[in-house]
Amino acid sequence: MARGDAAERDSAFGFGGTWREYAPIAFTNLLLTIVTLGIYSFWARARTRRYLWSRTRFIDDRLEWTGTGLELFLGYLLAIVLFFVPLGIIQFVLQGVVLRGHPGAAILGAAILYIGLLYLVGVAIFRALRYRLSRTFWHGIRGGSDEQGFGYAGQYLWRTLVGTLALGLMIPWSMTTLWNRRWNAMSFGPLRFQAQADWRNVFGRFLLFYLWPIVLFIGLGAIGVMGLTAGGATPTGGGGVAIVLLGLLFVSIFYGLLGVIALAFYAAYFREGVGTLTLGGLQFGFTARTKDFILLFLGNVALVLVTLGIGYIFVPYRNWAFFIRHLEAYGEVVLEELTQSTTREPGQGEGLLDAFDVGAF
Amino acid sequence: METRAWLYDGQTALPRTGVLIDEGDRFRLEDARGGAGPFAWADLLPPHADAGVASYGLRGVPGWRLGFPDPPPAAIAAKLPRGQTYGRWIDRFGLWPAALVLALVASAVVWGVLQTPALVARLVPASAERRLGELMVGDFGRNGCRRPEGQAALQALVRRVAPTERDLEVHVVAVPMVNAVTLPGGRIVIFSGLLKAAKSPDEVAGVLGHEIGHVRNRDVTEALVRQLGLSVLLGGLDGNVAGYTSALLSTAYSRSAETEADRYSQQLLRQAAVSPAATADFFRRLGGGAAKGRTERLLSYVASHPVSRDRAQAFDASATRGATHRPALDATQWQALRTICAGQSEKWDFRF
Repeated sequence: MARGDAAERDSAFGFGGTWREYAPIAFTNLLLTIVTLGIYSFWARARTRRYLWSRTRFIDDRLEWTGTGLELFLGYLLAIVLFFVPLGIIQFVLQGVVLRGHPGAAILGAAILYIGLLYLVGVAIFRALRYRLSRTFWHGIRGGSDEQGFGYAGQYLWRTLVGTLALGLMIPWSMTTLWNRRWNAMSFGPLRFQAQADWRNVFGRFLLFYLWPIVLFIGLGAIGVMGLTAGGATPTGGGGVAIVLLGLLFVSIFYGLLGVIALAFYAAYFREGVGTLTLGGLQFGFTARTKDFILLFLGNVALVLVTLGIGYIFVPYRNWAFFIRHLEAYGEVVLEELTQSTTREPGQGEGLLDAFDVGAF
Repeated sequence: METRAWLYDGQTALPRTGVLIDEGDRFRLEDARGGAGPFAWADLLPPHADAGVASYGLRGVPGWRLGFPDPPPAAIAAKLPRGQTYGRWIDRFGLWPAALVLALVASAVVWGVLQTPALVARLVPASAERRLGELMVGDFGRNGCRRPEGQAALQALVRRVAPTERDLEVHVVAVPMVNAVTLPGGRIVIFSGLLKAAKSPDEVAGVLGHEIGHVRNRDVTEALVRQLGLSVLLGGLDGNVAGYTSALLSTAYSRSAETEADRYSQQLLRQAAVSPAATADFFRRLGGGAAKGRTERLLSYVASHPVSRDRAQAFDASATRGATHRPALDATQWQALRTICAGQSEKWDFRF
């Protein structure tokens, strides 16, 4: 890729994949996933990762993904047995409770169910990160964690619940402290990751969520006042249409800009998270600005729309390339000291995470 | 035979470069750090075709990688395991033959899953179905509207529409919706909103006949089995895709079940000498005007019920020319049925 060659050479991380190389993988994955009624999707994901990792360079050598489709498949089956089956039975029972005329008991049951689910989401996020690190090799050395994720899930549960208190003002605090908890439990070879993300550095961005409606209402109020004085106070048929159009415009601007604010916050959060992450003598960094995130997002949307959905198969490629091209590392790695990880290798993949459909990073 | 090679031993991150020496079943690496091996050729793991540069793993030693800076000589290359692309099974047959066979198997499985529920539903004994119903919906409907005159009228209507049916359980609940449902276990629940919207007992008779059709055809059990089968079958697909596919497939079956239940109702009405024209009117009123009818037709592929106008026409067409019809209930009974919920509020009570 010609883009940013000079910058790429200086960066510790580089991505050398191409669309044309990836296309046969993406299309055969799609074909096999369809004819196996979705079962191949686990092998497809393993194949995609194998390709993306193998085209990712760190300092002098490529990364290697050793996870297999079978692991992901077993993880998924396990999630079904441990999670979907009980969930289905509980829903069945709750429905029966409602129809027997005890909606109060059903609401109580649903609340307990929700808390249990939130706990499991915490387990899933932790284990997916651990699984991915344990299957990522560099110079024959892998990452991992000695923890199972149950402690983290407890933290995730209460911090997420507390984070929504005070009108959600504590969400930056819960997100950054959970980032730190999660990464501080991870290691690569004999080295521990250390994360020191600080919520105060992303809080300003988060306040945009609160500022934005105020700005909008003041602006709209001003427009409304101007419209009334210009058009006189007599409402006409045309005025009704204008009000509807204005309403539509208002809603689309409101949600469009809310999305942009969400991306702006996420960009700041991710830069803070990666930027405070260290591993031994390495300091990581992430260079993507809000604009880059927006371009990635719009690019993905356009790709999917223009290709009537087929372009969806290239989204993982685009996301990974974006991630690696903006990932930086400074400092040095002492190869002699980088010995094999002694953490336990998890036997299966990200089943629970698949079940909840949330991201690991 | 020997060739240049590099090795990660999986213990430290230090790369080892040296010369690989072939010793028949085994090989070893000679380098500046005292060499490594011997290793058995048979323990080498196949490389992945997508990885670009081929490298080989060693069974039982995670992180161990062997690679060659230049293409190895033929004698050594012959001992290396072949690369994997799609996975072991698919590689063995080749992509296109494997895809073709898998597509055939998949079609057969989908067909089977869609067809078997009808068979399975008929194999489930009525008593088991009733127990399942109790489990799922408890006594829903049973503590509905109970004015004695109304209940007597309801029983009269059931006897009139389906004189041969034995253990039918029909209830009215005070819910302001124009609807009637058949629950698992063959329990029919009519919502009071339907009684209010109906203009004559004949209209209620047509709807009741339709629900009895569902009970006879074991449609509820069939739908449950199908839903279960589809959710297991489509479990591997992406959540949304699976949801939409499953919904589309099951509504297609639900539409045909509804048509079938309508036909059953028409047959019951004919035997009971109740005019189907009233039911046709009822569906026509439900369908609304021409504009609403068009929207309904557009959406008919994703709807669980057939288009109201088509249903009305089918009921009209089922009328036997010259047949004499009697009202399903007399005026007193009809009045009693309509007021079966009198004195009951149309809301759900909230209790633990």
